[in-house]
Amino acid sequence: MLGLVVALVVNALLLAALGANPVTAYSTILSAALGSVAGLAQTLNRTTPLLLGASAVAFAMRAGYVNLGIDGQIYAGAILATGVAFLLDGWPAVVLLPVVLLAGLVGGGLLASIPAWLRATRGINELFVTVMLNFVALFLAEYLATGPWTDPVAGEAITVPISAAADLPRLLPGGGHAGILLALPVAVGLSLWLARTRSGFEFRAAGSNPLAAGFGGVRLVRIGVVALVVAGALGGLAGAIEVTGVHSRLLTGLTPNFGYMAVLIAVLARRSPVATIPVAFAFAVLIVGADSLQRSVGLPPSAVLLFQAVVVVSILAFETARGRRLVARLVQATRRSPGRRRAGGVA
Amino acid sequence: MAEPARAGDVAVEMAGIAKSFGDVHALDDVTFRVAPGEVHGLLGENGAGKTTLMNVLTGLYLADRGDVALHGQHVDLRTPSDAVGHGVGMVHQHFELVQAFSALENILLGAVTATWSMDTASHRERIADLADHYGFTVDLDTRVADMEVGDQQKVEILRILYAGADILVLDEPTTHLTPAEVDHLFASVRELAAEGLAVVLIAHKLHEVFAVCDRVTVLRHGRLAGSLDVAAAAHADVVAMMMGDDATMVEARAKTCDIGEDEVLSLRGVTATGGAVDVHLHDLDLQVHRGEFVGIAGVAGNGQRELMELLAGLRPITTGRMHASGVDVTHARVDERIRAGVAVLPGDRMREGVLPASPLYETYALGRHLLHDHFSPHDLQDQARDMIARFDVRTSGPTAPTASLSGGNIQKVLVARALDVSEHAGGGAMVVMNPTSGLDVGAAAFVHDQLVRTCEAGGGVLLISEDLDELLALCDRVVVLSHGRLAGQQVAGDYDRLVLGDLMVAAHG
Repeated sequence: MLGLVVALVVNALLLAALGANPVTAYSTILSAALGSVAGLAQTLNRTTPLLLGASAVAFAMRAGYVNLGIDGQIYAGAILATGVAFLLDGWPAVVLLPVVLLAGLVGGGLLASIPAWLRATRGINELFVTVMLNFVALFLAEYLATGPWTDPVAGEAITVPISAAADLPRLLPGGGHAGILLALPVAVGLSLWLARTRSGFEFRAAGSNPLAAGFGGVRLVRIGVVALVVAGALGGLAGAIEVTGVHSRLLTGLTPNFGYMAVLIAVLARRSPVATIPVAFAFAVLIVGADSLQRSVGLPPSAVLLFQAVVVVSILAFETARGRRLVARLVQATRRSPGRRRAGGVA
Repeated sequence: MAEPARAGDVAVEMAGIAKSFGDVHALDDVTFRVAPGEVHGLLGENGAGKTTLMNVLTGLYLADRGDVALHGQHVDLRTPSDAVGHGVGMVHQHFELVQAFSALENILLGAVTATWSMDTASHRERIADLADHYGFTVDLDTRVADMEVGDQQKVEILRILYAGADILVLDEPTTHLTPAEVDHLFASVRELAAEGLAVVLIAHKLHEVFAVCDRVTVLRHGRLAGSLDVAAAAHADVVAMMMGDDATMVEARAKTCDIGEDEVLSLRGVTATGGAVDVHLHDLDLQVHRGEFVGIAGVAGNGQRELMELLAGLRPITTGRMHASGVDVTHARVDERIRAGVAVLPGDRMREGVLPASPLYETYALGRHLLHDHFSPHDLQDQARDMIARFDVRTSGPTAPTASLSGGNIQKVLVARALDVSEHAGGGAMVVMNPTSGLDVGAAAFVHDQLVRTCEAGGGVLLISEDLDELLALCDRVVVLSHGRLAGQQVAGDYDRLVLGDLMVAAHG
């Protein structure tokens, strides 16, 4: 919270330095993002992928895995969802939409199964693989959007529209789709699963101390696979929702770095999927509101990015300070442990 | 490098040293003196204050009271770099080397400050000379990560010598060494002393002190028990000092039960040669019967850890069979063995036993969570509350972070957890490794009581311990593990420490 206060103060100074009235700017952000039904619709549309991505990242982090591949998984889910929508063109909405969303889950899960498999069989760190696959998925989407599925009239990397029957129902006027109704239960459900179930407990144990969890009968390899594939599937679902809810087609630029923001949100929410709900919403407010700063207060787009960065950096700085204190406490606890370390240790 | 020793000179003089941590008096009025050219053994049980005293000498801890003088000059050692500046160097049990650096780079790291460039070639030559001189031959270009433990130790010692230390503290340096490496190390240590260095050897093995030391100082419960010239002392004198008048040997515990026929745990012809490990296990034949308390003795690093991991299910069995209460668990996973009643209490409780940041009840639940069909966090909290009351665990409650508990209380929780696993199987097998290391007398007695009770309740206990006293006091028989093989056994009533000691150190033929 202190981080947020610092961010607001720093940004106020920044805005003042750029010649804008901070109070006007802040109220513009709030009124743009929340002050109208259309604004709220935009904010919720932004919240949906951020929330799905962040709760997926938080979920995998609880087991000790870092999924930096949400962007790629969004594309993979979007690709498969779009493909299935093309394939089943003409089916009624009541069947088509669920199948298309399911295809999104499968697409993201399939892409994430690559790092999961490499981690499980060869111990290759999922960080690198998930990041690299972001590019693979992006370029595959670009190929499809400019090649086989391209809309020849559009003249950019964009496919022909999918059947209207595959569109997500509207929730609010102004383009607000029902995706948030899928994302919210996902975040809540993941947290409940982690807290209440045996597998959820094993998941957290593996993330907290894999060595002790292994002695406690937790199957670490299986947990790694589940963590990464489920997180990937949720990323894929976010992709399918972007296709069916926002664009009605596949295009590059489907995700303006939702994946990295998802990681930030997950960290700020202290790896709790349910806690990503308010944080993702706050980020969405910031994104939608800051975009409007360009128009109303006349700030350059780079200043808006700067504005967002200040928020992230200051909150992270305070979170890290907390993290350090936690680490220090753990180190102290370990020092008290008389168990002898093995000389040489683990390289 | 060290100047030649002058007669009557004192390299280290620590007087009236006191240090407390909270309510615990780690050191109380300790005097410690080492002459140049002397190898000085520092003996005492776990927690007697040996390492604390040396941490004061090396500037890691600031003493509450007392005075330190080096070479007759009073010094104020407030930080480790103060101590290094005064020529004090310590080789810790866990080496402080950069794994990814070569030996040479590690040695230069602490010893040389260079801003832009350094003349590596001349340093290399001098280090090589130093290494040759004392018999610390290592390949200076090998990465430390690729070195044997014994070679890593040589690098660590060279690093400290090259930094200019003339007072060298070795903290239990033989723990991870093979017998041949130990001989080699001792020869080098004598060589260092002959050059006028003062060497302090923190030890917990008596025969090592007699093998290499000139003098020995014994600490007991943070107090000075005495100092002796080794040449003039008998083993018994030193033992008497360590034990004190109140000879607190581990109290032998009479079990009130007979050993049954059924095997709760059995290994037949088990070999485990997979994986990159220090020790492979060969041809293990070992049975633990209902009501039986079996001990595994041996010098650390002879396969104890590997055996524990094998029994837990974390290390695959290459050939042979393992049974738990009659069920074949040779290729069973950890969770399947837990359900079969194999309860393992790992040796390193903080690293292998607990979920440090999680609430206590979750640490208590780990492993036990597999035993019942129904899983409910609420029940787990209730069970933890019962356990806390039953075993008098000092904590604010089941939701307290595990890391907030003291070592003794954490061990109580882990013992309770293993008891539950064993009892769930109607008297399964408890495998415990060094269960009392670092515990105070009360907590250790508690652990021992619980193990004995497990036997009485119809289970079987396999105690893997480096503490021979503990083994002899508790076990129905003691089997010696040496170089990954079972070298022989003795049965209660016929225990002979010398015979067991021979089995422990016998070279594998």
